[in-house]
Amino acid sequence: MREIILFVLGFLAVAVLLMAVVGQYHSQDGKHHHKIGHKHGEGVVIDMHAYASKIRGWNPTFKVSLAMVLLILCIALNNPCVSVAVLIAMAYLTMVKGGLSVNEYLSVLMIPITFILLGTLAIAIEFSFDPIGQFNLHCGFFYIYTSQEKLKEMIFLILKVFAAVSALQMMTLSTPSSEIISVMRKAHVPKLIIELMNIIYRYIFILLDVYSKMKNSADSRQGYCDFKTSCYTFGGIAGNMLIISLKKANAYYDAMEARCYDGEMIFLEEEKKIEINQIIMAVIFVAVLFLLWGLTK
Amino acid sequence: MKEPILKVRDLYYVYGNGQIGLDGVDIDINEGEKIAVIGSNGAGKSTFFLNVNGVLKAESGEISYRGTMINKKNLKELRKNIGIVFQDADNQIIASTVRAEVAFGPMNLKLPKEEVIKRVDEALTYMDIMDFKDRPPHYLSGGEKKKVSIADIIAMKSEIIIFDEPTVALDPLNAEMLEEVLSKLSREEKTILISTHDVDFAYRWAERIIVFCQGKIIADGSPLEIFQNEEVLKRSNLKQPMLLNVYESLVEKHLIADEKIYPRSIEVFQKMIQVIK
Repeated sequence: MREIILFVLGFLAVAVLLMAVVGQYHSQDGKHHHKIGHKHGEGVVIDMHAYASKIRGWNPTFKVSLAMVLLILCIALNNPCVSVAVLIAMAYLTMVKGGLSVNEYLSVLMIPITFILLGTLAIAIEFSFDPIGQFNLHCGFFYIYTSQEKLKEMIFLILKVFAAVSALQMMTLSTPSSEIISVMRKAHVPKLIIELMNIIYRYIFILLDVYSKMKNSADSRQGYCDFKTSCYTFGGIAGNMLIISLKKANAYYDAMEARCYDGEMIFLEEEKKIEINQIIMAVIFVAVLFLLWGLTK
Repeated sequence: MKEPILKVRDLYYVYGNGQIGLDGVDIDINEGEKIAVIGSNGAGKSTFFLNVNGVLKAESGEISYRGTMINKKNLKELRKNIGIVFQDADNQIIASTVRAEVAFGPMNLKLPKEEVIKRVDEALTYMDIMDFKDRPPHYLSGGEKKKVSIADIIAMKSEIIIFDEPTVALDPLNAEMLEEVLSKLSREEKTILISTHDVDFAYRWAERIIVFCQGKIIADGSPLEIFQNEEVLKRSNLKQPMLLNVYESLVEKHLIADEKIYPRSIEVFQKMIQVIK
């Protein structure tokens, strides 16, 4: 039974990958994909993907709750088949529905790979002074040993983590931060945190901008010519950033007051309609996960 | 005579460090006027604007809007009716989508949601930026950000609109767009105050010019009066507008008749020269 299910899931994975590749090929063939902005760093790239995603128009509450439910199911059910199914479904949503290219999706998904590998290796591998275990490797005066059971556990754990991560990536790659924040507001997260999140999100880009300007101007004056100077310049920039952020905070407050701000930040939030068939699909998917879990328990 | 829309009497403002920002400012602003506020850096233009808007609190002095004296209670009324477009759009834009940004002012006015959405759509259409209503401000160009910051104020339906050095950091095309917006706003009987260092622009556009120098108003009059007054120009470190300069040189050399018809724009000037030929 388990083999059949794994085979079907593997087939589905290949199918999704193919669909994503073909979709990408077509979209490049037809019209050029219009990208906005320029690259700053990995985090900002994710932000850009969220704005460019084709499933951005979906109701954010639906996307966030779906991601949360899947995340919890991945952990709670603790079943490799469920993990693989979630991985495939999320890849389908992000690449085929969302229109993200395969390369970009894989590169975003690979961000946590170092942490995951380091963390799981510690589970699979153990050290000993005696040659024990199913497999062992002699390393001078000690042995590294492991067993099939342990390796299996490690691979299942990797699958579980990747499935959980991919559920969250589906959310972040299709929902701009402002919408995620509005969902949190609906979930009655304290107002203070919501306002802080809004301002911090906006501020990140302003500070990045200021930083890159200062860095460029320091660079053009040989501020990074050797290690010592670089350290010195970095310190100077960091100090300056603090002063500038204080000044900017003041300017911001003035601008907000000028527009009748009176202590409460309220933003217009768009109402995005939730579609019944999306909910039905999500419910069916969750039911399928439970079924998979039941069959392979 | 009609009651001025905004009346400022004896306004004093001192900065936190003890430096005097405004040193007794008296001014009447009438409805529908196109006023350019000029003066060197640190002359008190921006401080004056923030005071008039009630963001900065003056040490002494009175501000009355349409005959109503402004105090702490009706400060909001003042802010609602006077909008400032700040010099640096990045210091003004607060929300993380253009739509939410333009809605920030109307939302603070506690308008019903339908009205807010209506106003936002109107303002976006007005500035011709409907296309990027869902875009985040950090992926917009400088000119686009400026348009958003103007839409912010248009959505509030302020009667007096203050532009703090709007032409700075705009390319010629965007500056032209700005002038179009200004003339559109003037047609709607809005009162507009613009602070600027661009004397050519002030000469071409303004009906009235106010000159600030060290926290005081040292001159207030028509563009011609101001730019022909050499003492004022010298005190405020300003130059004569190019067009006025050229015209006066031509008159001096008797190349054109001294009819005291001063051309305000290049087009008028070109017509004038064609007549001579």
